[in-house]
Amino acid sequence: MQPIPVDAEVVDFSVGEFGANIIETIEGDVATVNPLVNESVGGSLVIGRILDSLVTMDPKTGEVIPNLAKSWEISEDNLQYTFHLRKGVHWSDGEPFTAEDVVFTWQTFFAKQSDPETGEVMTGEDGRPLYRYNSRSTFGQQINGQEPQVEMLDDFTVRFTTPEVYAPFLLFGGGVDILPKHILYDAYEDGTLMDQWSLQTAIDEPWKIVGLNMFVLETYRPGERMVFARNPNYWKVNTQGERLPYVDRVISKIVPDGNSSNVAFAQGQTDFESIGPDNVAWVRRGEERFDYTVLDMGPSSSTNFIWFNLNPGKNAEGEPFVAPYKFDWFSDKRFRQAISYGINREGIIRGVFFNRADILNGYVSPKRKFWYNDEVRKYPYQVERSRALFQEMGFEYRGQELFDAEGRRVEFTLITNSNNGLRVEMATVFKENMAAIGVDVELQFLDFNTIVTKISDAFDYEACMLGLGGGAPDPYAGKDILMSGGRMHFWYPQQQSPATEWEARIDELMREVGRHTEVEVRKEYFNEVQAILAEQQPFIFLVSAKEYAGYRNRWRNVEPTPLGGVTWNLESLWSEVSE
Amino acid sequence: MIAFILRRLLTLIPLLLGITLLVFLLMSLAPGDFLTPVRAQRDVPAELIQAIQTEFGLDQPWYVQYYKWLGNVLQGNLGHSWAFKVPVADLIGQRIWATFLLSLCAFVFSWAIAIPLGVLAAVYKDSIFDRVSAVLAYAALSIPEFFLALGLVFFAAQTGWFPLGGATSIDYDYLSFGGKMLDRAHHLVLPTLALGIGSIASIMRIMRANFLDSMRAGFVATARAKGLRERVVMFKHVLRNAINPLVSAFGFAFSSLLSGALMVEIVLQYPGLGQLMYQSILREDQFVVLASVMLGCSMLVLGNLLADILLAWSDPRIRLERKK
Repeated sequence: MQPIPVDAEVVDFSVGEFGANIIETIEGDVATVNPLVNESVGGSLVIGRILDSLVTMDPKTGEVIPNLAKSWEISEDNLQYTFHLRKGVHWSDGEPFTAEDVVFTWQTFFAKQSDPETGEVMTGEDGRPLYRYNSRSTFGQQINGQEPQVEMLDDFTVRFTTPEVYAPFLLFGGGVDILPKHILYDAYEDGTLMDQWSLQTAIDEPWKIVGLNMFVLETYRPGERMVFARNPNYWKVNTQGERLPYVDRVISKIVPDGNSSNVAFAQGQTDFESIGPDNVAWVRRGEERFDYTVLDMGPSSSTNFIWFNLNPGKNAEGEPFVAPYKFDWFSDKRFRQAISYGINREGIIRGVFFNRADILNGYVSPKRKFWYNDEVRKYPYQVERSRALFQEMGFEYRGQELFDAEGRRVEFTLITNSNNGLRVEMATVFKENMAAIGVDVELQFLDFNTIVTKISDAFDYEACMLGLGGGAPDPYAGKDILMSGGRMHFWYPQQQSPATEWEARIDELMREVGRHTEVEVRKEYFNEVQAILAEQQPFIFLVSAKEYAGYRNRWRNVEPTPLGGVTWNLESLWSEVSE
Repeated sequence: MIAFILRRLLTLIPLLLGITLLVFLLMSLAPGDFLTPVRAQRDVPAELIQAIQTEFGLDQPWYVQYYKWLGNVLQGNLGHSWAFKVPVADLIGQRIWATFLLSLCAFVFSWAIAIPLGVLAAVYKDSIFDRVSAVLAYAALSIPEFFLALGLVFFAAQTGWFPLGGATSIDYDYLSFGGKMLDRAHHLVLPTLALGIGSIASIMRIMRANFLDSMRAGFVATARAKGLRERVVMFKHVLRNAINPLVSAFGFAFSSLLSGALMVEIVLQYPGLGQLMYQSILREDQFVVLASVMLGCSMLVLGNLLADILLAWSDPRIRLERKK
C-alpha cells in the first residue's frame, strides 16, 4: 500500500465503518474490460469502476469538476487546455501515476499504421491515415477530422491543443479513461493492445488489470459474476484522512435482463437497483419485508418518438423508398404537426405508464434541466386543430376517414421493436389516436436488428417509433442525430447537403454549439435548435419515462441525485457490518 | 474395427462442411449483423463502424466470408468472438466444463434411477408399482424440459431452498475445498432434476420392455431348468442381455451431453455452453455459433460411434467388420 497522496481528495461525507460488501447485478455478460474495445453499457460500467479520468461531471449540477486533474486552465484563444494532475497518486499496483500515462493513453488513440519497409504512414482509400488501434476514441475524439495534440510539460502537467475551438473538449477529452503505461506499453509496441484485458485476462490474471479508480477486479466467472475488491491505493480519503472506499468488495451478479435484475432486488438479494416504470409497483411491495427503499428519481433522460421516412432516395431497383404521394404528405410540416396534435400523450402516460412518465415536448428530456428549453412550440391533444391542419392541406373527411386531395386514403405503417413492451403498448395507443383523426395506421412489430437495418440501411419503411436512452451530458454529443450529414439523422441520414432550409439552419447552429465555450452563448444556439425541431416536428416526441432507484436501508451516506443516481458516491457509502 | 472407426470419422467431414455452410447462409439471411446494435448507439463514430466492418470482412458476400473462415479453421483457428473479443476456443473452454458437469450429473442421476426402476417394473409386471411407475413415466415424458425448469424456478423462488441461477455462490472463492464441492452440488440440484427427469422416464420404459423380452427368451428357461436360483437368473442372465439396447441409448446420451442442456441452462441461468450459444445466436456472434454447432455435430457422430463400439464389445453377435 502506498502512502496517501499529497493531493488526495477529501470527501465531505459523515465518517463510516469499513468492511461491508455490496451485491448488485449487471444486465448481460460483460464482453471486455479493455476500454479501447468496449462497446457495451455493462462494459462501461465495469471499466468505470476500475479506470478513472482527469475530469468528471458533478452529479448535482452537471458542471465539469476536477477528478485526477486537480485544476486546469484554458488559454485565451480557447485552444489550449492545461491540466494539473494530483501529486502522489498511485496505480492499484503501486506504480506512480504521472502525465506520461495521460500522454500514452492519447497516443494509443491516434497511433498510425506505418509501412514496415518505408516507415511511412499508410492511408486508406479516402486518403486519411489508417490507425493501428481503431477505438471509439480514435474517431470520437477527433474534431472535424483533426486530432487534438497532447504534450507533457512536466510529470504532473499535460497540455492539450485542439485544432479549432471546441467546447465539449473539457468534458469529452478530459473524461477519457486513463490507461497505465507501465502495464500496456509493451502490448502497444508489439501490436496486441486490443487483445489485452480481455475476459480471459479477467479469468486468469485479473491483477493485470490495473486502475486508478476505487476498485480492482478480483475474480470473474463467465456468465455468473464479477467481483471487485477495493483499490488499496485509491486517492480519495474521508474527513479523518482514512483511505476510501468503505466497502471491501462489490459483487456484481450477471443476470440476463432488467426484469431478472429487478426480481433479485425485490427478493432482498441485492443492495442497489435501478427500476423501470413498468416494474416499480410490484418491486415496492417488498419494501418492508426486505427492508429497502424505492425512490422516485424524477424524469429519466430517455425519450420516445415517432418519425416519418423523409428520405427521397431510391433503392437498387430504382424504386423510391417511400411512395411519392406519401412522401409529399410526410414532408409537409403541417402533416407532421397534425399528427402531433392528434396524439393523446396524457392518455399514453396514464394508460401505458400509469402516470410514471412526463410529456415530452422537445428533443431534450426534462432531466437535463440545464439544456432543456421549455419555450418551444407544444402540441397538446387537440383533435379539431389536427383536422383543421389536414383540411388546410386540401385533405377531406369522408365520414370518419381521411382522404388526400387526390382521393387516396391517408394510411401508413408504423414499425417498432417487438421486445420493448412499453413501446408496443405506446404504438397501440398511437394507432387508436390516429383512428380518431381519420388516419389508418398499420402496426408492425419487428426485432431490433431488422428495425436498425431498415432505418439505417434499407430505408424501406414509412414511419418508426423508437427511443433514445442514456442522454448525453453535452448537447454536442447529439450531432450525429441532429446534423443533416449525421449517421443517426433518423428521418434522412447521411445527406450530402441539407435537404431543407431548416436542416441547414440546424447544421449551422450545431456547429456554433461546438465552437463556443461560453455556456450562455451555447445555450442560446441550442435553444434555437430545439425550437426548430419543435416547429418542424421531424421527430414527433411522445413521453419521457420516469426513473426509479432502490437501495437497501442498511446503507449510509446515500444521497441520490437525478444525474448521478444512487451510487455516484460509492466511495462514501458504508453499512454496519453484521456478523 | 479400425477401418470402421476411420470410415465413420471420415463421414464427419462432409457433414461438418454442410452444416457450417448452412449456418453461414442462414446467418447471412438474418437481418443485420453483430454490429447492428452498435450502429444504433449515438456515440459510436461511423468511421469506427466502418473500420470494424472492414476488419471482420462484413462488407463481403457470405461465401467469401465462409471461405476465409474455413481457411482459418483448417489451420486450427476457430476465429474470434465478435462480442467478447477473445478466441472462440477460449470462450468455449470457459464454459464447456460447467455444461459437461451438468450433463454428467443428469446422466448419472437418470440412469441410476431408471435402470433399477425399469427392472423392478418388469419383475413385478402388472403390479401396483408397475402401473404407478408407468403413469409417472408418461407424465414425466409429456412435460417439456423448459416447462419443468420454469416450475423449478418457481419452486426455488417460493421456498428459497435452492439458488436461482449460477453454478456457484458469491462466497464460493472463500470456501474450503469441501465447501466448494457442496456449493457446486447445491447449484446443480435443480438443473440436474430438470434435465434428468425426462430421460428417467424413457430409459425406464426401454429397460422394462427389454427385460420383459429377455425374460421370455429360451436361455432363461434353460437357466431355470439348470436349477439356478431366480436371483441369479434375473440379474446375471436377463439383465446382461436386456442392457444391450441401452448401450446404443448411451451413445445418444453422450452425443447430447453438451447440446442437450441448452433449454435448461437458459431457463435456470446456468452458465454453460448452451447459454453461451443462445446468447451468441441473439448477438449474431457467428464464429461462436459455428464452433458450437460443429462441436454438437461431432459429439453426435462420436456418440453413435461409441455406441456401436460398445455394442460390439457387449454383444458378441455383432461383428462390425463383417459388412464388406
